Amino acid sequence: MNLSLVDPFILAQEYPDTLTEKLSSGHATCLRFNHSGDYLASGRVDGTVVIFDIETNGVARKLQGHTRQIQSLSWSRDGRYLLTSSQDWKCILWDLEDGSRVRTVRFEAPIYIAELHPFNHLLFVASLFEDQPVLVDVSSPKPIKRILPSAPLRPQPTNGEEVDPAVAAKQAAQDAKHSTCVTIFTAFGNHIIAGSSKGWINIIETETCTTIHSMRLCNGVVILMRLASNGRDLLVNSSDRVIRTVLMPDLSQLGIDLEPSNIKLQVEHKFQDVVNRLSWNHVTFSSTGEFVTATTFMNPDIYVWERSHGSLVKILEGPREELGVVEWHPSRPMVVACGLESGCVYTWSIVSPQKWSALAPDFGEVEENVEYMEREDEFDVHPAEQVHQRRLDQEDEEPDAVTHDTLKSATDPDVADGFGVPVLLDISDSESGEDIVTVGPGTMRRRTPGGGRDAVNGDTEKDTRSAANGVSRGSGRTRRR
Amino acid sequence: MPTPNPRRRDPRAQSPVESSSDELAAGSDHEEAERRRASWTMHKGFTPQRPYQQERQFTGSESPDELAVDADEYWRGSRRRRSPSPIKRPDSSHEGQSHDESEVLAEDGMTNVDETHDNAADAMSDRSPTPVPPPSPPPPSKPDHLNYKEKFVLRGHLRGVSAVQFSPDCSMIASAGADAAIKVWSTATGRLIYTFEGHLAGISTLAWSPDGQWIASGSDDKTIRFWNVNTLKPHTKNFVGHHNYVYQIAFTPKGNILISGSYDEAVFMWDVRRARVMRSLPAHSDPVAGIDVVHDGTLIVSCALDGLVRVWDTHSGQCLRTLVHEDNPPATCVKFSPNGKYILAWTLDGCVRLWNYVESRVIKTFQGHVNKKYSLSGCFGLYGPPDVKYTPPLCFAVSGSEDGAILFWDLVSKNTLQRLEGHTDVVLGVHTGKLDGKRLVVSCGLDKTVRVWEEASEDESPVAPGIATSDATPAEVNGQETPAHDEDGDDAMADAPPSGDATPAEDVTMT
Repeated sequence: MNLSLVDPFILAQEYPDTLTEKLSSGHATCLRFNHSGDYLASGRVDGTVVIFDIETNGVARKLQGHTRQIQSLSWSRDGRYLLTSSQDWKCILWDLEDGSRVRTVRFEAPIYIAELHPFNHLLFVASLFEDQPVLVDVSSPKPIKRILPSAPLRPQPTNGEEVDPAVAAKQAAQDAKHSTCVTIFTAFGNHIIAGSSKGWINIIETETCTTIHSMRLCNGVVILMRLASNGRDLLVNSSDRVIRTVLMPDLSQLGIDLEPSNIKLQVEHKFQDVVNRLSWNHVTFSSTGEFVTATTFMNPDIYVWERSHGSLVKILEGPREELGVVEWHPSRPMVVACGLESGCVYTWSIVSPQKWSALAPDFGEVEENVEYMEREDEFDVHPAEQVHQRRLDQEDEEPDAVTHDTLKSATDPDVADGFGVPVLLDISDSESGEDIVTVGPGTMRRRTPGGGRDAVNGDTEKDTRSAANGVSRGSGRTRRR
Repeated sequence: MPTPNPRRRDPRAQSPVESSSDELAAGSDHEEAERRRASWTMHKGFTPQRPYQQERQFTGSESPDELAVDADEYWRGSRRRRSPSPIKRPDSSHEGQSHDESEVLAEDGMTNVDETHDNAADAMSDRSPTPVPPPSPPPPSKPDHLNYKEKFVLRGHLRGVSAVQFSPDCSMIASAGADAAIKVWSTATGRLIYTFEGHLAGISTLAWSPDGQWIASGSDDKTIRFWNVNTLKPHTKNFVGHHNYVYQIAFTPKGNILISGSYDEAVFMWDVRRARVMRSLPAHSDPVAGIDVVHDGTLIVSCALDGLVRVWDTHSGQCLRTLVHEDNPPATCVKFSPNGKYILAWTLDGCVRLWNYVESRVIKTFQGHVNKKYSLSGCFGLYGPPDVKYTPPLCFAVSGSEDGAILFWDLVSKNTLQRLEGHTDVVLGVHTGKLDGKRLVVSCGLDKTVRVWEEASEDESPVAPGIATSDATPAEVNGQETPAHDEDGDDAMADAPPSGDATPAEDVTMT
């Protein structure tokens, strides 16, 4: 509703410019906004997941269940469910309505990244450390894991041609060296895009778990892949210190206009620091996909490139620490990143100055002096009642105070009337207690993480262990805010 | 209305808050500076102890008796004045002449009483609810009156009731007032569910959290407190930060932020979870009397006794618009329209104005109520048959009045749709709601009662205006019974300690 009143110049600004907030709750290592942009999930080193309310910058919920560092976060479309993966070899699907665990899935290896299907919150893909990636169906309490191929698609031998056993053996050996580092779903979830340790991109059909297309993108390891909101632009960060944007074909047209053999992935831009050969910690698209943002290794800055020309438009001055994960708000020009050293979450956004003419309705802001033209009857004196009556007579509009404008239709209906995380006031219920407690005026102390925490359904042993770890790490620190 | 014993009046009338607005009202034709000075000196001269003592006085031993006697007398007197049946009075005025027609119309579900050929059109449009554009069908004629009738009189508050609100699902009503108690009533039965006590001074405002779990209340003890309706327990944290009386509060739609306006001239945005001030809006140079939040939570509107209505951006905390009427009358209450396009503002010049805030223009002025002194509050509501589609949808604005009436205005024509009488003193708060398909209005006032009004269907209406048959109407029966109930109520009021628990049944008068 505020759009009609906000300065259009402010609205036209597309990327943030100033560091505005610092959220802190433990040592955050990974971040993810929900689809409507109301909440920011943050995974911590100690395995706790904290949901921040972006409007109040406060903690909306804390989820405790993991015992090691959180690796990835993934929201369901309606914002009710959150999938977390951790170095404790577990994935947990949380229901944010009550903070309970819907499913806990154990793996045989640490997890790199787990991502929920865009429309089905009971299906996710996970890429595992030195293991095959899996597609996990958790619609029943016993998860069904299907192994996805890591090896690139080889051209099928044509009929009649003999396959040389030696070549075949060599290929098999090579294929075995491939391991998948990143798996993400396409926009509709019909396909999975997998990035391998040898720099290959595989497109895997979700239904059959077979690779339909492979392409060698680079020589390095694919570290991270992100899809833009339009689903057609892919952002790839790899260990060869180059960030690539890749144009994807419309995979929903497969079998209609598009044959798997015709799939082409086209590299659009390569972003890199040619001089310093900086490597990139984490990359993300902006909300519209027009900008690419990256944090750099051993450097406190955030780089913002725009994609139409591929030029660097902004370097966000950061706090004095190296930044890890960076995320862009799904609708606003707002960037969040977490500091590697402190684990704080920093936010950059646009600070709009107060327009003083808004405070005094009789005044207007003009560029230069304007000669005032007096109206003919401006200073005529009329009897007050007459003026009042005339004013009343002029009120002949037909206001519609009820019907809502259908402005919202632009956004996704699922996301628009999305789920709201319940507002919890009781600390005992939500465990949303502050980590920072007031000691005196202006002095804060970090609460010892072990205190007042009770084990969430089961896993008592591990929880107490992690609590003990937390004490040894967190005690004795003081903090001023 | 005779001037009651001062003690019986809303304590706010004695507190600096009211006396200052009193000054303001009296001086509304004086000069601005004079008014400012008056309010400022009253503000300065305020000692925080006073209201507390007053609050505690009536819990003392001797005052209840005094109260009881005078209340009894007062009630009998007022009942006599109101009899035979206050409910029928508004109807009888115009239903008298349009009796026959409205009976006919009842079949159509329409309420038009203007012309007969319109009736025919209605009958047509009724058969096909979505009229086809080509033959340019006559637009469905608008009902020119409403037919709300008194359903319950909820008694139990010991002093004036300043705020009342339906819960989000309308199953409950929360009311609070000068007796520092918050009472939760069942909408369906009118029974008292629970009484929350804990505030140290009278309560000016309350708000239900959007999830219906909590009631927030703002009090003259400068705090905002939260009360859990499910567990019936107060929240452990009080919202402390205002330097003076809390005047009005409102939740954002998500319930994570609470906005409060205070006599200390500030507007605070509270982080509800942490019970902490998130942001302070440098709002006004006089006490902030009204606060509201738009349906999507992006805008806040505040108004103050300096006559300014300011619109704020929730996200950035910046003032986006200031609305001021030429004469600068003190503004006491503001409400966003259901779609958030307009702002309804109450001012102490006896007007309620509908603003188009984007264009900074008054588009409607509603008059007919009395408002010189108190912060009256009101609401928007829908009317008309639900199966007929009107453009624009039929919408009314409703407000209390200092003469004890509740007025409904049509938003387009500005006509008074209904004038509900029943309260015997100033009606401070009105709220609209809907339960089981029935449109409801709840009101509260200085006569210590909360009243629930229900929209009666038109086929019941012909019975009411007939004077000859009036003896047999249920309302009349009730009219004879109510004095007895009143006495009960007053006795209970006198005998029961103010901290009495839920004492439901006897306080309820069913109509």
